[in-house]
Amino acid sequence: MSSMQEQMRARARDLLTRGEVKMVIGWEKGTFWYLSPPVFITDPGDCDRLVWDEFCTNNLAKYLLDYKLSEEKIALFVKGCDARGIVRLLQDNQIDREKVYLIGIKCPGVKDGRQAAALGEERRSEVPLAEKCRYCTHPEPVIYDELLQEDGGTAIREAADAQEGRFAGVARVEAMSPDERYAFWTGAYDRCLRCYACRNICPACNCRECIFDRSQSGWCGKQMSRSENMFFAITRAMHVAGRCIECGECERVCPEGIPIMTLNKKIIKDLNELFGEYEAGVNLEARPPLGQYKLDDPEEFH
Amino acid sequence: MAETARVNPLVPRTGRIIKIVDETPDVKTFHITTDSGKPFTPLPGQLAMLSLLDVGEAMFSITSQGPEHLELAIKRVGMLTDALHEAEEGQTVGIRGPYGNGFPVEELKGKDLLFIGGGIGLAPVRSLINYCIEHRQDYGHLWIIYGARSPADLCFKDDLFNNWPRVENCRVDVTVDKGDAGWQGHEGFVPAFVEELHPDPAGRVAITCGPPIMIKFVLQSMEKLGYKDDQIITTLEMRMKCGIGKCGRCNLGSCYVCLDGPVFTLAQLKQLPNEY
Amino acid sequence: MLKIAKEKLPELLQAWAAGAKVFVPQEKGGVSVFLPWEGQGKLTLGEGNTLEPPKDLFFPRTETMYRYQVQGKEASLTEVPPLEEKRVLVGIRSCDARSLLIMDDVFLTRGYVDEFYRQRRENTRVVALACSEASPTCFCTSFGIDPGRAEGVDVQMWPVAEGYLLEALTPAGQELLGQGSSLLQEAGSENIPAAARTSLAVEVSGVTEKLQGMFEHPYWTAVSRKCLGCGACTYLCPTCHCFDIQGENRGNSGYKFRCWDSCMFSEYTRMAGGHNPRPSKKERLRNRFLHKLQYFPERYGKFACVGCGRCLDRCPVNVDITRVIREVKEVTL
Repeated sequence: MSSMQEQMRARARDLLTRGEVKMVIGWEKGTFWYLSPPVFITDPGDCDRLVWDEFCTNNLAKYLLDYKLSEEKIALFVKGCDARGIVRLLQDNQIDREKVYLIGIKCPGVKDGRQAAALGEERRSEVPLAEKCRYCTHPEPVIYDELLQEDGGTAIREAADAQEGRFAGVARVEAMSPDERYAFWTGAYDRCLRCYACRNICPACNCRECIFDRSQSGWCGKQMSRSENMFFAITRAMHVAGRCIECGECERVCPEGIPIMTLNKKIIKDLNELFGEYEAGVNLEARPPLGQYKLDDPEEFH
Repeated sequence: MAETARVNPLVPRTGRIIKIVDETPDVKTFHITTDSGKPFTPLPGQLAMLSLLDVGEAMFSITSQGPEHLELAIKRVGMLTDALHEAEEGQTVGIRGPYGNGFPVEELKGKDLLFIGGGIGLAPVRSLINYCIEHRQDYGHLWIIYGARSPADLCFKDDLFNNWPRVENCRVDVTVDKGDAGWQGHEGFVPAFVEELHPDPAGRVAITCGPPIMIKFVLQSMEKLGYKDDQIITTLEMRMKCGIGKCGRCNLGSCYVCLDGPVFTLAQLKQLPNEY
Repeated sequence: MLKIAKEKLPELLQAWAAGAKVFVPQEKGGVSVFLPWEGQGKLTLGEGNTLEPPKDLFFPRTETMYRYQVQGKEASLTEVPPLEEKRVLVGIRSCDARSLLIMDDVFLTRGYVDEFYRQRRENTRVVALACSEASPTCFCTSFGIDPGRAEGVDVQMWPVAEGYLLEALTPAGQELLGQGSSLLQEAGSENIPAAARTSLAVEVSGVTEKLQGMFEHPYWTAVSRKCLGCGACTYLCPTCHCFDIQGENRGNSGYKFRCWDSCMFSEYTRMAGGHNPRPSKKERLRNRFLHKLQYFPERYGKFACVGCGRCLDRCPVNVDITRVIREVKEVTL
């Protein structure tokens, strides 16, 4: 048991008992040792369900949208990537900062549950860090009301050098010939079930009504065919362009293992080249690249 | 094409709109037939899937029928109904059916019947009213209580004011939520009107259909007047796609509204989840 | 009882492929799925279960039903005939085999026969593979399914050290094994291996009755909070059968198709005019569990869950039907 976990439970119990918040969102143990899914605590007596371990991967920020209409204050635990999700929602005017109490966590990195399952519980210590954590530039949350860290000040992960390996997947695809690239993407997206797990977990996908939930409009057919799946993939990638916080949740939740982050990172790489280096969800004041213009923006189409 | 013996229930046949009648600013009655006459002979309360092939398909109640055609009264609420309201006589449509359980015409024999309709809700109930009129000797007193938002929104005005009042042992009472300059009749909501008229429950079965909010209050009024749960029948609507109890979406508990309904007694509805 | 050496299996698949399209678990893009056997390909037969259930073979993700032409007031339509191709499905597990019987109840009974499904089902022979090992996510035995013997299949296979034992269970199965007679030998007194035991189990008796009194219970609010409302569970589930009917227009012509749909999506029950009897995640999640554990048993006499574990393996937030069943039984009414 880590002292971080004890601190989390204590803080949650305290906030709920004193009525400062009506609900605390955190993580609890799931069906297997490698799963720590979200938990919603409303009763101070339930706070012992909260856990903190290397499988607390789920980005909790998106759940705040379920309580948009509620008057009540909610507390949630935020790792570095989750905090960027909060900034994303604030910048998109989706949540009220006053109704949220953020308990930041200096995150040492999380691990991939699927890889853990494959290795087995006896080899728990060998499970590698999740890929996204290797490129994480903000392990300490950029926004919080209070910050928790391990007693004894265990060194947290150093912020990774943003460039190292971050766009390796993109470079691999860019090096392919057009035919190879087509085979790569169709091979992936032919499997797409259009379950919308990627969209539903993404903090940047926060439209009140998504166009893919309105099949009547005719923008995208409901058939699970190559062209419609591609249309969905590219549309979503373009809709989050410049706003993607690189939490990697979309790729983690995809039941078919589609390399969604490669597509998102390609767009981020292009935006960096076109409009300058930018990291979404870090600076509340900075406008996203596609949410502003500058007079010296590249103009290739005179 | 495969053997004609196996009919695919999801594929419609083509038919034609031969007549369009304007009932209200947003309700029209469409008369549909096919090359071989009436596509099928529905029981009162049954449904049909009507489509404009390049727009969409939806389930509608069959409000009436003639020897060679079916009549569907359709309110303009969405994409398909919009397109239908723009269509002209002669338009080819897709039609398949009949679906649903229809009204229990056998069990209702010999009883006095009370029909309570609101707005477009009169459309399915009308099929039963006309059936009773056609088999007049099999049924007792017929009492029709109907209301709409305004005089312009009253459906089937010809039946309400000319045909039905002339039927033997039949009474028609009409109300509107709000009258206009020329309106001489009753003003007020249907549930309150029903209570005002207080039809006696003895030997009577009530059949009601209308907007969900109206049904809710009508059921409360009926309870006050002493009607038992098995004396009240209603017909529901849900989003439907297959019409044959397979696509899953119109379920109310373990019943499919397209197959086990849309006609339910209140007693049956109380056994099912409150999800409609 | 016959047997075949492991190395000879591809030849048996090839023999069957001469007269039909053979679907067998193979690796593609890092996952195991049922794919047509084309002579080579990495067989993943016997390695756990496929990511996707074989329901796609009988109830495809997308299926064109009819094509139409519209010119002003005139229109016509042409039915697309149901698939008549002969197929052999090899390597299905007992859980998925039970799911086919459940799909049969849905598509072939109760007054209407779904011709698309019937044609595919009639033209497919099914060869099941017994499980010698369960995955941690398997709980088929909780529903009375025997991992060692599938129901309603033509041939049952069991993995043994050097290969497989095979037994024909129907005349069609006999015919299939006859096609590979040169590759098969008598198994003599070889014993059928013991069926797998699952580590995950849940007591399901009484859950239908318990749920009948729980429609308005606050339990559903609590359990639906973490649900994302995506369709992953429904699309990976071998018995989920909901579909939508839509059309695709191209100028004056187009086609009407049916495709998978999910009760977890917001527009599933949304009516024209806006009224939606299941407006939030809570109603939709409740409906999903009630359908699997209460409504389907009430209507067809069997649970609609086969314990394959795919939903709880892939749910992004670990919504776990075994946990729901356990908690439902413990809830006080």
